Amino acid sequence: MSSSLLYVINVVTTATVYAIFVLGLNLQFGFTGILNFGHVAFMAIAAYASVLLSLAGWPLIAAAAAGILLAGAASLLIGLPALRLREDYLAITTIGFAETVRIIINNEVELTRGPQGIFRFPIPFESWGLTPLGWRVAFMILCLVAMLAVYLILQRLTRSPWGRVLKAIREDEDAAIALGKNTRVFKLWSLALGSAIAGLAGILLAYLLSYINPREFLPLTTFTGWMIMVLGGAGSNLGVMVGSLLYFGLFSLTRPLESSGLLALGLTGQQVGALRIFLIGVFLVVLMMYRPQGLFGRKEELSLDR
Amino acid sequence: MLQYLANGVVVGAIIAVAAIGLTLVYSILRLTNFAHGDFITLGAYTALFLNLGLGWRPAAALPLAFVAGAAVAVGLEFVVWRKMRQMRAGAVALIVASIGVALALRNGLVFFVGPSPQTFQQPVQRAVPFLGLPVTLTPDQRFALIASVVLVFGVHLLLRYTTLGKTMRALSDNTDLAWVSGINVDRIVIWTWIIGGGLAALGGVLYGMTRPLYPELGWHLLLPLFAAIILGGIGSPYGAIAGGFLIGIVQEVSIYFGVPVEYKIAVGFVAMIAALLLFPRGLFGEASYK
Repeated sequence: MSSSLLYVINVVTTATVYAIFVLGLNLQFGFTGILNFGHVAFMAIAAYASVLLSLAGWPLIAAAAAGILLAGAASLLIGLPALRLREDYLAITTIGFAETVRIIINNEVELTRGPQGIFRFPIPFESWGLTPLGWRVAFMILCLVAMLAVYLILQRLTRSPWGRVLKAIREDEDAAIALGKNTRVFKLWSLALGSAIAGLAGILLAYLLSYINPREFLPLTTFTGWMIMVLGGAGSNLGVMVGSLLYFGLFSLTRPLESSGLLALGLTGQQVGALRIFLIGVFLVVLMMYRPQGLFGRKEELSLDR
Repeated sequence: MLQYLANGVVVGAIIAVAAIGLTLVYSILRLTNFAHGDFITLGAYTALFLNLGLGWRPAAALPLAFVAGAAVAVGLEFVVWRKMRQMRAGAVALIVASIGVALALRNGLVFFVGPSPQTFQQPVQRAVPFLGLPVTLTPDQRFALIASVVLVFGVHLLLRYTTLGKTMRALSDNTDLAWVSGINVDRIVIWTWIIGGGLAALGGVLYGMTRPLYPELGWHLLLPLFAAIILGGIGSPYGAIAGGFLIGIVQEVSIYFGVPVEYKIAVGFVAMIAALLLFPRGLFGEASYK
C-alpha cells in the first residue's frame, strides 16, 4: 500500500516539476515564438548553482534565488548574440549552448565533481523530522504550490499588454516593430523569464532526486519538454500542465507493464529504455505530421505551420 | 603544432564530406535536419557489422555503407518528409519532426547494438610520415583524407557539370521557378537524399577508421557539422567544405593550445558563435538574420 502510494506521489511530483519546466518553455516558444532547444541548460545552471551555494553555507532560499537569477542571466548571455538569428540558427545555437554547459559541468571536476555528481546536500524540510513518506508528501505540496504560483504569474503576464506584445512578435515580428515596439527587449525578457522558470524546475528536480549529475541534463530532457509542450498545445499554460501530467501518467501506467512484459520477452533494461526513447521519437514525428498544433492546441491560436 | 594541424585536416575532410548532405538538404528542402548525424552513425555501424561479422576491411564496406545511408534517407523521404511538404509544414514542425526521427534512429540502433563503444577489428597500424612532411598519419588516416578529398571533388564535378547537379542548384536557388521550368522536383529531392544520406554514411565509415564508434557518435558530430555549414554559409556546398576543414582544424589545433580534449565540441560551438557574429552571412552563404 505505502509503496504504491509512494509511487503515485513520485509521479505527481515529477510531472509537476516538468510542468514548471515546460511553462518556461511555453512562455518562450508558445507565446513569443523563440525556438529554444537548449532549455535544459538553464535547469542545470540553477540546480548546480543552488546546490553548490547551499553546500557553501548559504540558506536554502537564498541559494535557490541565486540559482534562478543566474539561470535567467545566463539566458541573456546566449540571447544577446543569438536572438536576432533565424529560427533554425537559433535552434542549433541553443542546442550547442546546452551541450557546452553540460560539457563544462562534466569536466570542471573541482567545482562540480564532474560525472560522479553530488550527493548529500541540504534539501527543504530536513529539520522537520518527517518520515520518508511525510517528506515526499510535503515536497509534493511544495512543488504543486510552486507550479500554481508560476501558472498564475504567467496567466497574469500573458494577458497583460506585455503578453500581447509577445504574441504579436510570435505572429509577425515586423508588424510589432512597425508599431514601435522594441521587440528585441521583449524577446530578451521572455527568454530570461522562461529560463529562470526552468531554473526553478531544475532546483526542485535536484531536491527531488537528492543528487545531481550531468547525465540528468542531457538534450533529451529538452526534447521531452518540447514533446510535453506540443502534446498539451503550445501557447496554452493550462494545456502544458495537463500535457505533463498526461505524459508522466502514461509513462507510469506502462512502466509495470514494461518491466514484466518486455523483460519476460528477454529484453534487457537497456533495450527497454532504448525502445521507450524510440517511441518518443516516433510520437514526435507523427504529432508533427498530423497535429502540429498539439492535442489540445487551437489551430487558429497557434500552429507550428509557419 | 603541424601534427595537430594534420589531424585537423583529416577530421575536417571527414566533416566536410558529411556536411555536404546536410547543407544540400537544407538548401533544396528547407529542412534543418537534426537526424543527419544519425546517417553518419548508420554508415559507421554498417561497416562495423561487415567488419566484425564477415571480416571485411572497413574500406571495402564503403559502397554498402553508402547504400545503407541512402536507403534510410530515401525511406524517410517517402514516409515522413514528402507528406510534410505536401501539408506545407512550417520550419518549426520540420525541426521538431527531424529531432523525433533522430531519437528514433539512434535508439533503434541502441536497441540492437547496445550503447558501448566499439572499434573495427584490424591489424594495429603504425603512423608513418606523410608526403615527406614532418607529420605522421596512420594508413587509415591517410586513406580517410584522400577518400574525403576525392569525394568532395566528385561532388564538385557533379554539381558543376552534370544535368542533375545543375537542376539541384536551380532548385535550391528558386524552387517555384525550377518547378514551372518543368523540373521534376520529387525526383531531384530523392537524388538529394541519396547523395546526402550516402555521403554522411561514408563520412561515418571514414570517421570510424580513426576513432571508436558509439551510437551517439552522429549526434555528437552534428554540432561541428552545423558549425561547419553555418561557418561556410548555410545552403552552400562549397561553404560546407570550407567550413568543415576550418572546424576540424580549429578543434584539433585548440588541443595544442592547451584546451582539454573534452572541450572539442564546445570549441566547435564557440567557433560557430564567433562565425555568426563576425560573418552573419557565412563565408559563402545567405543571411542568417531575419
